[in-house]
Amino acid sequence: MIITPEVLNKQKNDFTIIDIRSDEERQNFPLLGLDTILSSYDESINVAGKKVLVCQFGIVTEGMIIEKNINNAFSLLGGAQAWVEYYNENKDLSRWTRQIVLPEIGIEGQKKLLNCQVSIIGMGGLGCPVAQSLVMAGIGKLKLIDDDFVSISNLHRQPLYSFQDVNKKKILAAKSKLKALNPEVRIETDDVFFDDKNGEELLLNTDVIIDATDNIKSRQRIDQISKKLKIPTVYGALFRFEGQVSILNVNGSAGYNELFPNSNTNGEDSCADAGVLSMLPAIIGNIQALEAIKLIVGINNNLIGKLLMYDGMNHKTEVIEL
Amino acid sequence: MINIKVKCFSQVKYALGADELTFQLDENTTSVDLEKIIRKKAGKKLNNVSLRIAINKKYQKEEIVLQNGDEVVFIPPVQGG
Repeated sequence: MIITPEVLNKQKNDFTIIDIRSDEERQNFPLLGLDTILSSYDESINVAGKKVLVCQFGIVTEGMIIEKNINNAFSLLGGAQAWVEYYNENKDLSRWTRQIVLPEIGIEGQKKLLNCQVSIIGMGGLGCPVAQSLVMAGIGKLKLIDDDFVSISNLHRQPLYSFQDVNKKKILAAKSKLKALNPEVRIETDDVFFDDKNGEELLLNTDVIIDATDNIKSRQRIDQISKKLKIPTVYGALFRFEGQVSILNVNGSAGYNELFPNSNTNGEDSCADAGVLSMLPAIIGNIQALEAIKLIVGINNNLIGKLLMYDGMNHKTEVIEL
Repeated sequence: MINIKVKCFSQVKYALGADELTFQLDENTTSVDLEKIIRKKAGKKLNNVSLRIAINKKYQKEEIVLQNGDEVVFIPPVQGG
């Protein structure tokens, strides 16, 4: 069983709280605000009554309770790190403990996500998985920009919408599903088609733009504003079993209009005309979300200045240096 | 003669009907020459599709003379979302 820092704080007098960490960890992350007893891994099993076991990240104690079949024992989710964050800043980040434990993310990375605003232009095949993954990962604020309605033909590839949402505004249906995933996420909805007149105002205060549109003109327009406002864009696009992803316009790096100057297609490559398999938007949208997370947290191994081309038919990828 | 491998994605793959093709070309063949060969091979299927090019995983803005063993990717813009 697990207990979050927020719940423990309310019920701490009901438990014996056992800190099983090393002296060094106790010194670096003291459990302020909790009366604890210190115990080794084995001794803690014999403590009578309801107890909460605390390790550094909440993973050792979670495994220990299951392995040793310890009765009346709870593992503190996120461990001492999550408790210290909760005690100092009144923020319970414990639900993200499995990604906070990644050295590349950590508490500081998670806080960067929480303090970030991402704007998604287009809530279709790409926009849905991007929004879903970003909310699940702990992005603090999302802006959803789209004026479209949910149609039946969207449902096979746009997982935020169900039959009950058909004919509803996409942004409203999406907001409802996303708030269920994380009630604390702040979501702003803009029921407009992104264009030259409204684009700049819509993207003010945005940290990262997600290009999840479905036409070249919108992509060109986004690029101009992204460049002007110096806000990076995570670009994604689909064709049948394939997709492209790149992070554009970071400190002067290439933008869409440099990557595809005066670009044209024969008009037969949209999802409606060319077709798209339901998994492809999820794959490409999740790669966009992954790149957005890396960009926000500051993980340097990313797609800035590179174009990823992915073919889901044969799983061939090509990463091209721009 | 030089041997060139072309990796095919998106409209190029569908137009040529292959994931990968190899070409034996005259020395001094350029990237623009190869694009013309590709377009001719595709018939009308790449009409109005603008293509960018990467050689050995590097995007090329200018025409470049191909070297034996080069790997070429033509990059069409795709718009689906």
